[in-house]
Amino acid sequence: MSDLELSNRAVAGRSLPRPPRIGTVLALAFVAFLAVATFAPGLLQTTDPDAIAPRDAFEPPSWAHWFGTDESGRDVYSRVVEGTAASLLIGVSATAIGLALGLLLGGLAGLGGRVLDFAVGRVNEVLFAFPGILLALLIIVLWGPGPVTATIAVGLSTAPGYARIIRGELVRVRTSSYVEAARVLGHGRARVLVRHILPNALAPLVVLATLGIGQAVVWASALSYLGLGAQPPAAEWGAMLSAGRIYITTAWWLTVFPGLMIVVTTITTTMLGRTLAARDGSRR
Amino acid sequence: MTSRRIFRSLPAVALVAAGAIVLAGCTPADGDAAATGDPVTGGTLVYASGDAEPSCLDPHVGGNYPQALIAGQFLESLVSLDESGEVIPWLATEWTTSEDGLTWDFTLREDVSFTDGTPFDAEAVKANVEHLKDPATQSSTGYLALGKVDTVEVVSDTVARFHLSVPDSALLESLSQPWTAIESPTGIARGMDENCVAPVGTGPFIVDEWIPQDHVSLVRNDDYTTGPADRAHDGAAYLDGITWRFIPDSASRYAALQAGEVDIIDNAQPDTLDQASKSGTLVEIDAPRPGAANRLELNSGQPPFDDIRVREAFIRAADVNDGIDSLFFGTADRSYSVLSSVEQLAYSDDSLFDTDLDEANALLDEAGWTERDSRGIRSKDGVPLTLRFPVSTNQSIPAEQSLFEQVQATAKEAGFDVQLSPVDLSSWYGALAAHEYELVSAPYTKVGPDVLRILYHSDSITPAPSGYFANLAQLDDADLDALLTAAASESDPDERADLYEQAQQIILGGFYALPLYDQQNHFLHSPGLEGVRAMPTVSTPTFADAWLAD
Amino acid sequence: MPRSRVLRRVALRLAGAAFVLWAVATLTFFAIHLVPGDPAQAILGGPGSQASQEALDEVRADYGLDQPLVVQYGAMLGRLVTGDLGDSYALKTPVAELIGGQILGTLALAALALVVAWVLAVGLALWSTSAGRIGRAIAGGLELTAAALPHFWLATVLIAVFSTSLGWLPPVSNDAASGLVLPVITLAVPLAGFLAQLMRERMLEALEQPFAVSAAARGETAAGLRLRHALRHAALPAINLSGWAVGYLISGAVVVETIFARPGLGRTLLRATELRDVPVVVGVVLVVALVYVLMTLATDVVSRFADPRIAREEAPA
Repeated sequence: MSDLELSNRAVAGRSLPRPPRIGTVLALAFVAFLAVATFAPGLLQTTDPDAIAPRDAFEPPSWAHWFGTDESGRDVYSRVVEGTAASLLIGVSATAIGLALGLLLGGLAGLGGRVLDFAVGRVNEVLFAFPGILLALLIIVLWGPGPVTATIAVGLSTAPGYARIIRGELVRVRTSSYVEAARVLGHGRARVLVRHILPNALAPLVVLATLGIGQAVVWASALSYLGLGAQPPAAEWGAMLSAGRIYITTAWWLTVFPGLMIVVTTITTTMLGRTLAARDGSRR
Repeated sequence: MTSRRIFRSLPAVALVAAGAIVLAGCTPADGDAAATGDPVTGGTLVYASGDAEPSCLDPHVGGNYPQALIAGQFLESLVSLDESGEVIPWLATEWTTSEDGLTWDFTLREDVSFTDGTPFDAEAVKANVEHLKDPATQSSTGYLALGKVDTVEVVSDTVARFHLSVPDSALLESLSQPWTAIESPTGIARGMDENCVAPVGTGPFIVDEWIPQDHVSLVRNDDYTTGPADRAHDGAAYLDGITWRFIPDSASRYAALQAGEVDIIDNAQPDTLDQASKSGTLVEIDAPRPGAANRLELNSGQPPFDDIRVREAFIRAADVNDGIDSLFFGTADRSYSVLSSVEQLAYSDDSLFDTDLDEANALLDEAGWTERDSRGIRSKDGVPLTLRFPVSTNQSIPAEQSLFEQVQATAKEAGFDVQLSPVDLSSWYGALAAHEYELVSAPYTKVGPDVLRILYHSDSITPAPSGYFANLAQLDDADLDALLTAAASESDPDERADLYEQAQQIILGGFYALPLYDQQNHFLHSPGLEGVRAMPTVSTPTFADAWLAD
Repeated sequence: MPRSRVLRRVALRLAGAAFVLWAVATLTFFAIHLVPGDPAQAILGGPGSQASQEALDEVRADYGLDQPLVVQYGAMLGRLVTGDLGDSYALKTPVAELIGGQILGTLALAALALVVAWVLAVGLALWSTSAGRIGRAIAGGLELTAAALPHFWLATVLIAVFSTSLGWLPPVSNDAASGLVLPVITLAVPLAGFLAQLMRERMLEALEQPFAVSAAARGETAAGLRLRHALRHAALPAINLSGWAVGYLISGAVVVETIFARPGLGRTLLRATELRDVPVVVGVVLVVALVYVLMTLATDVVSRFADPRIAREEAPA
């Protein structure tokens, strides 16, 4: 089947015009913000993210509290900053799990023989047959709820998609004209693999990975909503989103800001991924 | 520790003015419905429950609150309670007890039939008690409630004699609960599978159909003649029937009520109660559940809470008053009793629960928890002062979970590392069974102060094969055991009250529990629904006298 | 392609599908038996039950839980072949019956959401490819935002706006069709984000292809070109994604059915998870796997008709 392997070209955006330069600059600025928030949140915070003040609960955004305060009077802005590390950790680890497994399966299928390809194809089908939350719920039945379980579940459920894309890329590159040319020129199999096939086939992974991070945070937040996610007082974006949901009509700022962080992070990482892919493409 | 007070009469502590207005704005629609108009016959009420859908509609099987909520519409008990907590007749008209307290004679109503035509008589009562005591029924709540009943003897069609192994001062209270309600023996004889789907009783409605995950249809019992002695009117219900829906998401449930899709919702959340009272278009029923108040149990069976100084330090440090005000929008009052405020014998002592961070620190220093790490967490001999706190997301509403986060934050100031873990019900029971907790909040609903024996008698530390045990504070005190055992057999009301007061003084004075508030049980309904009231037994709503005005 | 090769391919495909179902059943069965809990406890009232030792022993004998694992596995496979999924621990009713009563609601929801997602995605893709660079950037942002919206949050906002504020639509499901609108939109919007991304890129790619250029040279209008050529080209990968999309929708149904109080597989699964009702969890997982497998077979056939070239490009995975 040639379905998902096609989608990678879509997300890799080979045919896309390069994103506007101003966008790239903004994206880089946001990534810098995320990096500081992750490694030195104290530099950006206005107050202790876990400090409660029940008498100041549900205050709308103001100069004192840029993103308002939550149900316990905690500063939402400082919590959003604090939550960057935890959220990115979930996103990055889940994506890493998915990619690692995807690479293994996709590599076996794309570089092995027909039999191996067929076998991996079936394994992939089996993984596909456990969609998202179903797999997560099954894993929770096995090991109980928690952030680690949620991360593993999200990672596993993305693996077959990555595996297909990687296999597709490998097959496409292996049969492409320049690899054929390299073979004709008498380069050894190993050299062709390392020098030509792998670099070209794996380039789209960058884009996939950036897309996956935001998705993983969103999926993990769904598990938080179902009461099977993060550990308080951890200020993880998905957990904040699900905790603030019941106050949506009276205190919109509880969900809108963590929600915006997820969306902007997804858009930013995707844009940068495309820029990288585009540069990579022009280098080829 | 001065005098016994009923919690309702306590001065509201630190209640903000807004909260007081909110309280005044709620208009409970209890009883007295005639004032608003004449009853209208007909119409189908739509009830939306936020509780888990029962897996069996027969409350004898297992026995939880969701079952009690719906079973109250089609099953009736031998006795009930009135508003003041006095036992009143229902299916039994009168009762007498022998001098030694080991024999009880219940005189039953005549000419009553179950909705399948089976006559209600002493034989039926006997069959029900046997059903509850049969292990194959898998009864838990009802089985425990009738633990002291040995056999039931059929004296005549209308007299059932209960033989007890030991005197039981809580027998009438136990029999007033929906979990010991009387079902048709013919219905029971059909076997568990059929009886679970449509139990048969004498109540105002009949189970018509159950579509799992969606709703239960109840239709009116046209031949209904019974009802507790304090019922508002005689004869069949006004409503044609009830559609009992399950809407687990609280926001959707409230939205459905606002949109007129449903007529009444249970488990109304504090923020929506606040909204509703401000808009003034919905009616609230506040019916705290009987039994235990919501409280944090401190596991005294293992370190660090086996040291009373550490328990007291925690209670001095954990500040919940401001949080209860802001998170519950004035819909819940702070409690200083382990018993619900609806319990007549609830003993309350607010002086024990003052917060004082300096005192907490001093106590912990004295107890040897003197080292502190960079986060301020104390430790002793290299062991950090960690309190594991599993929270059941099925049992604790979001506002309560937020309150626990505030407990976590305030206790941290004294050097406690409270580790909250929100988990589903199965994992929660698993953590308790494995004693992997220092703090826990576990609701327990039961009519009468005998709940204290279930929760704090050392016998309740012994686990069932599943690992379940009710004494989560793991309170093991011989004096307390003696008081609770004596109280359970004491027939003199004053003596009984005195014994329970002494028992509660031991529990509160030993800092085994941090009381929070009554088990919240708020209903919201449209103004068109009238004549609905919460039963004074376990606070479930009854629709026998309700009508839809529109 | 000779007839025998076609038959062989079909046989291989069906055998593959059967393998997937067997593997899902086996994996779930053995995984479930790693669960620390005791199934007999789950049968006797689940967590917090106070069942006696005698009752536990009786249940173990009744359900064959005292048999060796291999015997239990064999018995399960034997039952599965006859379509028997066992009895629910909590409800004591046959799982097949339970799922039979819930599956239609979920499939209807998923199917409608798939259609709506397609309509939204095609609309967005057609508009954005004709718009300029700015339009494309906006469309890209919209797609990414839509794809990043958690179902539970979107549902709450939709209820707040369309039920509570405007009063147009019911916030929970009811017998009328209007009760389906909000759940379908909730499920469809994030999926539409994914599909639109995919289709837009493919359409742009197609418009640069020689056949598009020559069609334009023949005087084909821009709109016609887009509709007749590029859309067909773009639809193929999206069609092939349908198996995955249905899985994604059923998984989203867990949340959507809970919020909108709709009966269905998702809610059944969530409840069974909380009660550790193993036969129901296994049953739902198997049925969803079956739906996925059938959907994949169907999309194979459809895409073969839509684009004969696939037969040539065919690869086993």
